[in-house]
Amino acid sequence: MKKRFDLSTLMRSKVTWAVVAEVLILLVCLIVRPDFFTISYQPSTGMLYGNLIDIVNRSSEITIIAMGMTLVIALGGTDLSVGALVAVSGAIALKFLRWDVTVYNTPGDYTVSPFFLVLVVPMLVCILMGLFNGFLIAKWEMQPIIATLILMVCGRGIAQILTNGKQFTTGYSPFRVIGQGSFLFLPMPIIITAVVVALVSLFVRKTAFGTFVESVGINRKASRLSGINAQMIIFIVFALTGFLSGISGLIYSSRIMSNDSNNAGLNFEMDAILAVVIGGTSMTGGKFSLVGTVLGSIIIRTIVTLVYYFGIASEATMAFKAVIIAVVIVLQSEPVRNYFSKRANARAKLANGGVK
Amino acid sequence: MPENNILEMRQIEIQFPGVKALDKVDFSLRAGEIHSLLGENGAGKSTLIKCLTGVHHKDGGTIILDGREVQPQSPQNAIELGISTVYQEVNLCPNLTVAENIFVGRQPMKFGQIDWRTINRRARELMRRFHLDIDVSRPLSYYSTAVQQMVSIARAVDVQAKILILDEPTSSLDDNEVKLLFQVMRDLKAEGMGIIFITHFLDQVYAVSDRLTILRNGHLVGTYNIEDISKVELVTQMVGKDMDTIFNLKRVNVDKDAPYMLSARHIGIPGQVEDISVSLRKGELMGFAGLLGSGRTETAEMLFGATKIANGEIELNGKKTDIRKPYDALMNGMAFCPEDRKVDGIIGDLSIRENIALAVQARRGFMHPLSRKEQNDLADKYIQALGIATPNAEKKIGELSGGNQQKVILARWMATNPKVLILDEPTRGIDIGAKAEIQRLMLEMCEDGVSVIFISSELDEIIRCSNRIVVMRDREKVAETDGADCTQEKILSIIAEGAQSAGGAES
Repeated sequence: MKKRFDLSTLMRSKVTWAVVAEVLILLVCLIVRPDFFTISYQPSTGMLYGNLIDIVNRSSEITIIAMGMTLVIALGGTDLSVGALVAVSGAIALKFLRWDVTVYNTPGDYTVSPFFLVLVVPMLVCILMGLFNGFLIAKWEMQPIIATLILMVCGRGIAQILTNGKQFTTGYSPFRVIGQGSFLFLPMPIIITAVVVALVSLFVRKTAFGTFVESVGINRKASRLSGINAQMIIFIVFALTGFLSGISGLIYSSRIMSNDSNNAGLNFEMDAILAVVIGGTSMTGGKFSLVGTVLGSIIIRTIVTLVYYFGIASEATMAFKAVIIAVVIVLQSEPVRNYFSKRANARAKLANGGVK
Repeated sequence: MPENNILEMRQIEIQFPGVKALDKVDFSLRAGEIHSLLGENGAGKSTLIKCLTGVHHKDGGTIILDGREVQPQSPQNAIELGISTVYQEVNLCPNLTVAENIFVGRQPMKFGQIDWRTINRRARELMRRFHLDIDVSRPLSYYSTAVQQMVSIARAVDVQAKILILDEPTSSLDDNEVKLLFQVMRDLKAEGMGIIFITHFLDQVYAVSDRLTILRNGHLVGTYNIEDISKVELVTQMVGKDMDTIFNLKRVNVDKDAPYMLSARHIGIPGQVEDISVSLRKGELMGFAGLLGSGRTETAEMLFGATKIANGEIELNGKKTDIRKPYDALMNGMAFCPEDRKVDGIIGDLSIRENIALAVQARRGFMHPLSRKEQNDLADKYIQALGIATPNAEKKIGELSGGNQQKVILARWMATNPKVLILDEPTRGIDIGAKAEIQRLMLEMCEDGVSVIFISSELDEIIRCSNRIVVMRDREKVAETDGADCTQEKILSIIAEGAQSAGGAES
């Protein structure tokens, strides 16, 4: 059976409207700043520069977390702890990036611990914390929003304890590469994000994992009665989200070459949830779209860029952002989509020669 | 045309993408009449009702209500026009009180505040009209499904309805509750209300209706006075074939020395069901008879590991097997179609294909996915074999009719090639044609050596198909008889005896 291009179905898809919203915002940016789409090459760093690159680069942390959040939301839950985990990950990394103060008295390109520990330990700890969330939710059947609230609150505390409430800095160059390096003319975070998105997509869609997540999210009891190990699915999803938060935390702390237990990953959980929702995944769980989520994350970042471009006073930034997000969500709402879908339908009927 | 027609639907046409759901259907309802609407799943009953309640919009024809042409735009609009509907599932808020449920959205006010006293008084009066003397300030969830059903009818009636539509209101009620409902329906009829009654139970149609209308494949077959049409004729008209061909089913012969596939010994959970022992031979069909709540479902759930047994042991294929969760049962060749397919069976938003492939996929584990082609083949095979009525395998299972949903769940398990299949009320709430088909499939599987446990509230189908029959009562197994020489009376007397002795013990 050949699938015919169908405008009406396209109009019904939330992802379509996310694309429309993104294009509209970019156009507004273009009007405000005609040089908006300019991309230039900087030979000294070997990197491309430009607003578009910057939007994607800066959306990396949220995109990576939102991959996990998509699955969490598809299960019908939310994970509020991701922002705190970003702080924990950064704190542990910087804890390992100490140097011998008797030799050097300023931060520089040196560390006492092997570099792989700097990378692996934060991620492992974040996986453990994700498993802790999963344990509360799968085994004790706590509501995800409450269970993850625990780590949301105490995660930053743990980060503070680990660093004795201090802010460490480092100049270790391999660590700098994560957030500020480049590969194939692109900023490293974009590369990492691309790899993460590709791997998660492959894992979810090339195995039956995605179907199982949707199935458990739609009807956990029926899924269990069909032989699906719902508990294990929940465990894996929360562990994965923890792991991704850990990666995100490394990128964040590498950008500032420091840990910041109070501000690292602040409100990331909200942005990640928003990215998922703009991407067309319903908060009630079930069917999800990873592509939509990536788009959602980029839209959020584009809005921030737009806000800068309008030169809006910093006090009004949040309100302005909220207004645009409201417009995007309304564009995607059921009635609006139905309206355009019906119009497309009517037009198709006319094109096919009127009444059938 | 009789002048007391309260509702007249003429030449109604509704077009869905790819199908004509209703083709020039006429329907009329008189004031003070109970009019049954009959047809198989997909015949167009619910489409006709939804056209009347403003869910679907007609593509042709006219609706005349009380002499005026109307076009209900939405369910809310239909209610304003005087058309109230009570659906199969209770659409109320279980955590609100009975009175709140009746008056929610139109609470009488007094001094700008909700007048609780009036609400409770009027709710009490209303419930008394329904022969129910209950405390209306208790939460709805405190009462049985039957009472909840009554409350939703009370709510519908209290909005000054001229027409009341009852869509399968009896499928979860027991006999006494059904009688009560019928009493209420007759009272309302006497007050001049027109009632449209949809049910799969033909006995109930004869017990309560004045006229009936039969639909088949979106066409009107005819409208009859109840005394003018016999039951056999009715079924023939509904299905388009006669009853003998439908129920030409033969019990499967089981080899006397066939090995035992499943033996449960003294299994139980204290406080729920205790000390159940059953043994099932290869290719045997064992019927579980008993009233709702007699422990049939609990036993099935224990066998499948949906609930973990506390005592006793289960032997599969002669080996003691530890079944702690459904996954263990699946891995040991068992399959289970649960009683409440909407809640425990279907994954509503997934496609038919995904629903069919689910159990096979669960057995393989998610790291060994079925390819899209394997899934398609599986889905196509069972859509064809079970006659699932759908345009394609990508349709959401939630959009199918009850009988077709049941077939998809059955397909999900048939695809795993089970050795032991447990079916809990597989034929409840589905039409007679689909019912016969499911029974036929069940017997075919026995023929192929699958052992089947068949739970049903309808004794005639248990007796028709079973090799042996287990009778449950008060959460115990009370008897096991041979299927061939068993009669309804015999089973009923076993159940009834228990009811008496239990009644004595209770007081």
